[in-house]
Amino acid sequence: MIVAKNIHKHFDGRHILNNVNLTVEPGKITCLIGPSGTGKTTLLRALSLLECPEHGSVEIDGCKYAFPLKHPKEIVPPWPDLTVVFQSLFLWPHLTLRENILLPARNRKHGDLHAELEEIIDFFDMRPFIDNYPNEASLGQRQRVALARAFMLKPKYILLDEITSSLDVEQVAKILTRLKEMRDRGIGIFIITHLLGFARNTADHVAFMSEGAIVENGTSEILVNPKSHRLKQFLSIIQDAS
Amino acid sequence: MSTIEILINYRAAFLNGLAVTLQMASIIWSLGIVFGTALALLATRYRIEVGRPVRAFSFILGGIPMLVFLFWLHYPAQAMFDVVIDPFLTATFTFTLVNIFGVCDLVRAALDEFPAQYITAAKVSGLTRRQTIFKIQLPLIWRHVLPGLLFLQVAMLHTTLFASLISVEEIFRISQRINSQIFRPVEIYTALGIFFLAVSLPVNGLALFLKRKYGRNLSER
Repeated sequence: MIVAKNIHKHFDGRHILNNVNLTVEPGKITCLIGPSGTGKTTLLRALSLLECPEHGSVEIDGCKYAFPLKHPKEIVPPWPDLTVVFQSLFLWPHLTLRENILLPARNRKHGDLHAELEEIIDFFDMRPFIDNYPNEASLGQRQRVALARAFMLKPKYILLDEITSSLDVEQVAKILTRLKEMRDRGIGIFIITHLLGFARNTADHVAFMSEGAIVENGTSEILVNPKSHRLKQFLSIIQDAS
Repeated sequence: MSTIEILINYRAAFLNGLAVTLQMASIIWSLGIVFGTALALLATRYRIEVGRPVRAFSFILGGIPMLVFLFWLHYPAQAMFDVVIDPFLTATFTFTLVNIFGVCDLVRAALDEFPAQYITAAKVSGLTRRQTIFKIQLPLIWRHVLPGLLFLQVAMLHTTLFASLISVEEIFRISQRINSQIFRPVEIYTALGIFFLAVSLPVNGLALFLKRKYGRNLSER
């Protein structure tokens, strides 16, 4: 389980994260929603220990880090058991898409790598472009590869930052199916998303973030019957827009 | 006497001069690349202790014409310390120093500009430090540095001509001496050009080959 408690982060005298508490459980999908620029990605980076908060603690499967750390080097890297897919994807540009997936996956000690790769290639319809370089692929194709790279690592937790933003409806549906499958296998999924339908139908836990703080959280019920004024406002804006 | 005849008649002298030029160039290239890269790594890792002095020295070096630097090391510096050093060593030292700082500038810029997100992606994908360096950082830095590095090495080869001005018996000085005997500047300097082309073309060809192989445009659509 990933447990973040009282996370604080400042930047330029502004609260980016303000007393944030959040839990990501194995076998559950946790959705984080909220307007842009409210600290969602910073929170994801804190949960994955890529960025150290100023105060608070992050506990990953019983391994607790209390911030500020006395010795920054005391972090035992939780990766790739905990892995991240970023909004900007960060595919390595000098490797083909196939190599992008295989390079980290080769570190895995068990499993039939090539059979799994073939399966995932088919699952994401990547065969026509899998041997291209990232700059020869469209954004949607690159997003599928970034996800495949993370899936091939067989992580315990996967943190996703708006990874469906450039995909068509069919691809989004496929990825969401895959996420549900992963959840059913006991993988903890944390996803920052604007797909309220997905959050409503699939998420086990939903948190709404605004101005660096978790304003409301609970089951997906909060998206149907929001209590806070800010979440009501957010949902009505989205409803009007769609 | 035609250029061909000059090349045939004075081939031994030309080849001796060329050997000196190539000997000097190979020392300049190898030491420049090895120490320049090492210095860049140190300057990036220890930004204050090493990086700042390296940047300051590089800045000063860039402001001094190479010929002035060479003459200064050959005459005043040796007079000051009351030593006499073989001109070949003085010239090689001078050009190697310039090459070290040239290579260092190129590599340091590539290291400084290396996109941190690729390292972050490697981290969260569970790549080891060694894998990150050898599979991600070095190949990308190599591609970034390659065109400039090869251009600099060709330029350093051409710079060895200056060594003739402090009496190093390299190919340009040999050409001057032959010219003083037979006074056929057009043919002699054409022959010199042919020699330089013969050396530079393979290096330029290698540069082109490596650029095509590794210098693929990596920018995303």
